[in-house]
Amino acid sequence: MNNPKKLIVSHAPFIHIGSSIPQMSLHIILAALPAVILGGMFRFGASAVAVVSFSIATAMLWEIAINLVSKKPVSVGDGNAAVIGLIFAMLLPATAPWWFVLTGTFIAIVIGKQIFGGMGSNPFNPVALAIAILMISWGDFLDFDEMYRHFQFDFIPTYPLTAVKHFGLDAIEPVRLMDLLLGRQIGGIGATFGIGLILGGVYLMIRGFIRWEISLSFLGGVFITALIFNIIDPSRFASPFFHLLTGYTLVAAFFLAPEDSSSPVNFIPMLIYGAVGGMMTILIRNIGAYVDGAILSILLINLLNPLLDKIRPKTLGKVA
Amino acid sequence: MISKQKMKVVYGLMVYFLVVGVLCYAAFPVSPPEEPMRIMFKVTAGKVLFDHYAHTSETAYGLSCWDCHHHPLDDDAALIACGECHTANETAEQPPDICGDCHEPDEIEDTPIIKRSDAFHQGCIECHQAFEAGPIECAACHMMM
Repeated sequence: MNNPKKLIVSHAPFIHIGSSIPQMSLHIILAALPAVILGGMFRFGASAVAVVSFSIATAMLWEIAINLVSKKPVSVGDGNAAVIGLIFAMLLPATAPWWFVLTGTFIAIVIGKQIFGGMGSNPFNPVALAIAILMISWGDFLDFDEMYRHFQFDFIPTYPLTAVKHFGLDAIEPVRLMDLLLGRQIGGIGATFGIGLILGGVYLMIRGFIRWEISLSFLGGVFITALIFNIIDPSRFASPFFHLLTGYTLVAAFFLAPEDSSSPVNFIPMLIYGAVGGMMTILIRNIGAYVDGAILSILLINLLNPLLDKIRPKTLGKVA
Repeated sequence: MISKQKMKVVYGLMVYFLVVGVLCYAAFPVSPPEEPMRIMFKVTAGKVLFDHYAHTSETAYGLSCWDCHHHPLDDDAALIACGECHTANETAEQPPDICGDCHEPDEIEDTPIIKRSDAFHQGCIECHQAFEAGPIECAACHMMM
């Protein structure tokens, strides 16, 4: 019998943080809750509750359905489907229709994850893949200006990234960094409350549930690239702090980029992976066609992951 | 392996979230307010987000409803969507159906009604110029790529 405390050693690289998958899922959910509850549910009430609850439930249901169809053991108990459902909901507007959520969780669980063999085998982040496909198929439902047009806010009621992209820096002149940190901006249910996301991310990094190398290098990539643009033309490009606290940046840094299956495991590759992701996010935002580049940059670095993992320490010893 | 006891909790949570989600969707649908807050016009030149609340609120621009909704003047019947009368295309054949609510067909037979885009461009730009406030350039309203 396998001793559960015994680590079976295969070839390098490997890492074990001494925690089980259900535990990891639970801690990721806990880390996301401040941003979801304080940033989304308090502001949008039952609408946000509907999207988040329905997303978690349907993600779990799709997981069970695909397990049954493929005649594999039901894997919903590891909590990964619930995590995917929650993170997916964090990126949606609180007014997302039910069919949009249902389709998105299908894409994330079935196409993004289970088709490749389930947890640990997916080459792309399932949530990023789902959002990207939805963005291309029904982009209007991810247009926060349009989705929140019936709501009255006590702050600027336009999506900061759309405003700066189309109308320049004058449009975001009244936006204060503290507003962004406190969630006084429109955006995804769990993507607006900067302080909540930072606290959640720091907690996950300290506990070792995500790799700090990836998250910090992603944020560093965002900051440095945005700073370069800002130095080159400060009348056209927003400050790096603005880019750090708007759009999907923080969710991408703490909840999307460090996803185990689609990210590298060695130190240098992790730094490159994160930095390229951050850099691409700003390139797409500042000179690309899309308002927010975070999702597409995550998919791009997922694509680079197998190549980056080739950069690894030389194996010890030699084959006889 | 997850114990049967824990799996029961997982299934219970899944059913709980499903019920909460369905109930919240069914009981609290997002419906448009009687007076629009913001209106998104989707046009080929790029979307335009019009802040209706800012234009009408006393704490902002404080316009009267009939400053824009001009026909019939000072009558609640004018408080309809602009596109009801100003249709997307130039209509030479016959006036929009809504005109028939108040007018006989022969009464309005030759009445010109400008198309929606002209009505907006004319109405918005003239007002912005008159008050020397608000955008008049295309890219200041349209989200152009």
